[in-house]
Amino acid sequence: MRLKNSYALSAFAGVTLVGALAGCSSTASMDTGSNAAAASTEPSAAASTGASTGASTGASTSYKDGDYTADGTYQSPAGLGKITVAVTLAGGVVTAIKVDGHATDPTAKAYQSDFDSGIAGKVVGKKIDALNVTNVSGSSLTSGGFDKAIKAIEAQASA
Amino acid sequence: MPELRFAAIGTSWSIETPDILDAALVTRVEGRIEEFDRTWSRFRSDSLVSTVAESGGSYDFPADAPQLFDLYDELFRATDGAVTPLVGRGLETLGYDREYSLTPTGPAAPADDWSAEVSRRGSRLITDAPVLIDVGAAGKGYLVDLVGELLTDAGVREFVIDASGDLLVSVASPRRIALEHPFDPSLAIGVVTMSRGSICASGSNRRVWGSGLHHILDGRTGEPTRDIVATWAIADAALVADGLATALFFADPAVLAETFEFEYVRLFASGRAESSPAFPGELFR
Repeated sequence: MRLKNSYALSAFAGVTLVGALAGCSSTASMDTGSNAAAASTEPSAAASTGASTGASTGASTSYKDGDYTADGTYQSPAGLGKITVAVTLAGGVVTAIKVDGHATDPTAKAYQSDFDSGIAGKVVGKKIDALNVTNVSGSSLTSGGFDKAIKAIEAQASA
Repeated sequence: MPELRFAAIGTSWSIETPDILDAALVTRVEGRIEEFDRTWSRFRSDSLVSTVAESGGSYDFPADAPQLFDLYDELFRATDGAVTPLVGRGLETLGYDREYSLTPTGPAAPADDWSAEVSRRGSRLITDAPVLIDVGAAGKGYLVDLVGELLTDAGVREFVIDASGDLLVSVASPRRIALEHPFDPSLAIGVVTMSRGSICASGSNRRVWGSGLHHILDGRTGEPTRDIVATWAIADAALVADGLATALFFADPAVLAETFEFEYVRLFASGRAESSPAFPGELFR
């Protein structure tokens, strides 16, 4: 279940954020210039929160084309982390998306760089798509923050 | 298999069954989840735990509540108080409140002592002072078990309940389940194969911890708590797996094994992973 890069933004509206046990915040900005390319994750985060890729391609709300960025935060056992999501809208459809997981926590930072360097003897990540699995166990640290950032972008784009 | 999808208690749920669930059973599932939420959600002003947070007194919890409280008692003991349902107030102080303000209103304070502040008689909870109960460490797993029970009672023998990564599995042919990379949901660090039981993960934003306990744990395990970035626990019940996934951040697995039967994986900030000897899966190295 992968999120396609181009489908109506309104599909994100199906992502449920309100709830008893999740907590994230976001700050939105129209700053489209800065996109520090840190370890970038693919936007499949939304897929794991149950956004249906088949849903609502006919947008009921109209969104202004343009580049949008918003920050989302997430709480890990090591503290508060932040991600930046940048989205390009054209014709009301997401044509490009980029997630920067610029970890502010030193632990998370070290972790990400350790993983990138693929040190022998340590676990390595494999693409879930290629694993022939039916389910995924885990609550990725960034998915909540991603959802929040997308919500903020949605609000910007429909304003 | 047909799949029922819905959102509840802040996460998305999926229930796979060989046949489409009949409407009456779906209604029972929804009703059970609503009942759980009305009791345990500290994010609802009308919930029972919100009432308990207002003033001390004697409160009647649902008849099944001791199952959840008993697990917390065991986790509290096994983790020297690191896992406690009374972290709520501290989380709220730090801004993890009903409005998700994420604005701290004061310094982090130690949690009230679960073993001293609160007494229980059956499903009745008695407290002198108002206490904020947060069952975030094991509540979701418990609700997964409750939903599984409803299915079993209705004669549904095969199912996979997936509450956003916390799973309860009862199937004839084993499932392959990916262990999601905590920082990149497109990646897995391993795969588990199971046909019965539960696997739950921790490392997300629902985690709870007792203030000032880092040092205790550092000394005992040699691994600072902050160095663990993700955990997975496998047990018969999702209640136990969910609670242990949190406890594995704070306690030596060997200590937990004195109380609980489980398999586990712990992932450290260094990228190193450890698993129990009989862990039914594979870690990618």
